[in-house]
Amino acid sequence: MNAAPSPLATIRATALGYAPRILQGRGWVLAGLVAVPVGLSILIYTLARLQGADANPGEALKVFHEVLVKMMLPIMALVAAPAGIREDLEQRTLPLLLVRPAPAWALPLGKGLPWFAWGALWLVLGALGLQILGGDPALLPGRLVALVSAWWGELALMTLIGLVFKRGTLWGALYFFLWEPMVRIFPPFLQRLTFTHHIESLAGSRALEVKANQLLAQEQVSTHPALAILALILFGAICWALAGWKLHRTPIGLAGSEAEG
Amino acid sequence: MITLDRASLRYGPILGLSPTTFELPDGGGITGLLGPNGAGKSSLLQLLSGLLPPSGGEVRVFGEAPFRNPAVLARLGLVPEGDRLPSGLRADRWLRMMGELSGLAGEALQAAVAKALVTVGMSDRAHLTFARMSKGMRQRIRLAQALLHGPELLILDEPFNGLDPEARLILMALLRDLAAQGTRILVSSHILGEIAQLTDRILLLFRGRLLAEGTVTEIRQLLDRHPVELRLTGEAQALARWAVEQPELAALRMEEGSVVVSVRSPRDILPRLQKAAAEGGIPLSALDPLDLNLDAVFQYLTKDHA
Repeated sequence: MNAAPSPLATIRATALGYAPRILQGRGWVLAGLVAVPVGLSILIYTLARLQGADANPGEALKVFHEVLVKMMLPIMALVAAPAGIREDLEQRTLPLLLVRPAPAWALPLGKGLPWFAWGALWLVLGALGLQILGGDPALLPGRLVALVSAWWGELALMTLIGLVFKRGTLWGALYFFLWEPMVRIFPPFLQRLTFTHHIESLAGSRALEVKANQLLAQEQVSTHPALAILALILFGAICWALAGWKLHRTPIGLAGSEAEG
Repeated sequence: MITLDRASLRYGPILGLSPTTFELPDGGGITGLLGPNGAGKSSLLQLLSGLLPPSGGEVRVFGEAPFRNPAVLARLGLVPEGDRLPSGLRADRWLRMMGELSGLAGEALQAAVAKALVTVGMSDRAHLTFARMSKGMRQRIRLAQALLHGPELLILDEPFNGLDPEARLILMALLRDLAAQGTRILVSSHILGEIAQLTDRILLLFRGRLLAEGTVTEIRQLLDRHPVELRLTGEAQALARWAVEQPELAALRMEEGSVVVSVRSPRDILPRLQKAAAEGGIPLSALDPLDLNLDAVFQYLTKDHA
């Protein structure tokens, strides 16, 4: 009898086994969610420069906050998370994984990691692309960290929601597009329950020609960047752990799509 | 190897499996799990394979409860119903992953994947993605994933569904080989003829209840109280006159040149019938049992409990 694989071996095997999925249709949609708006912005910027317009560092900041953070990042999570463990649930292939001696709780993270890595790669490329628009180099590390750590948290959250709710994508969309924008009117303690708050803490918005309140969702971001990054990473880790716990605890039969028993 | 002690399974208010008790001993062999759709076959297999915990009672496989139990799961393989496989993946790489999830690594993993592919006859097509495979090929890959870690117990849920006749024969031969090598195989089906060709032991389920267990013959013996149909060919009037005098007769119908009789306890009446024919007491030229096959057993049992 073979020994049961360790959690790390399970995560590694699942991540490598499902990695080819990221180079298929959904993976390219994910890439396009970053590449298209950034690419279009660069194209428009280049055309404007050719017509004699001056460089405006605020453009990069606008694309970052208004497009990548507010729109594309949540949409990426909504697109990628259903291709994680939720996909096996819906395709009824999950029983093939659950009858293995591998720890079931490690499967959601294992299946999610390729999507995290692929999305993070494109977010990094997108943030670097924004530098062509005239982004402030001093803000680049903060933007990179903000995007990648927020992606980690949002993907984990959507994976968890996908396991808890039948219509996880709907609940996720409601969260991202109803709750998150409320950060503008939330009191400080509720602001901290949004991704936007932590992203803005990390990425800032103080370009040379843009005032803070022109782009920041909140009047004042008081959370220290180190705490913000810790919050995003910890939140993601907790969501992955809860998703694993949910999968481990829930009896899932051959019918797959619903918890049974 | 398998013990169910009043194990039951509920899906909310719906009873999938009534409290069921049976044992399967250690060692190889094929056990058929037979029943119509909705009989509770898949429920039972899900309990045994550790996908679902019992709602009541106790399930033990290799002496332990199988639900999320690595010690049990490492020793069993499951081929669920259907031909669903993760989209967009290559068979060989997917099998490799499944092997790793079963605790295999390094050369042992390579050897296990290669052996499983040879066993199911897919070595030369394992580089294909699942989308490019026929249903039969996908079914073989599903069997290969269950064989990777050399399970002592192999559970197959409706494995013949959707397979063409040739693929069915190949799969049957494969299962017989595995059983001969010492693997205990539990195979569910509602295709009675296939199960009859395959198994040396049957569990008969109907509406969530275990109706009978044993070999076809043993089950048949349990059914002596049920009428068995025999066609007596010869002079119909005389045969009918003889038949109505027999205490085992349950029903009789006349056909051209023959009489079809329904009799209880055929083992009692058949010697008398043979003796009467041999002594010239009845003009019998042929005797054909119409329903001593598995279909008849199944029909009788399920009709009785419907």
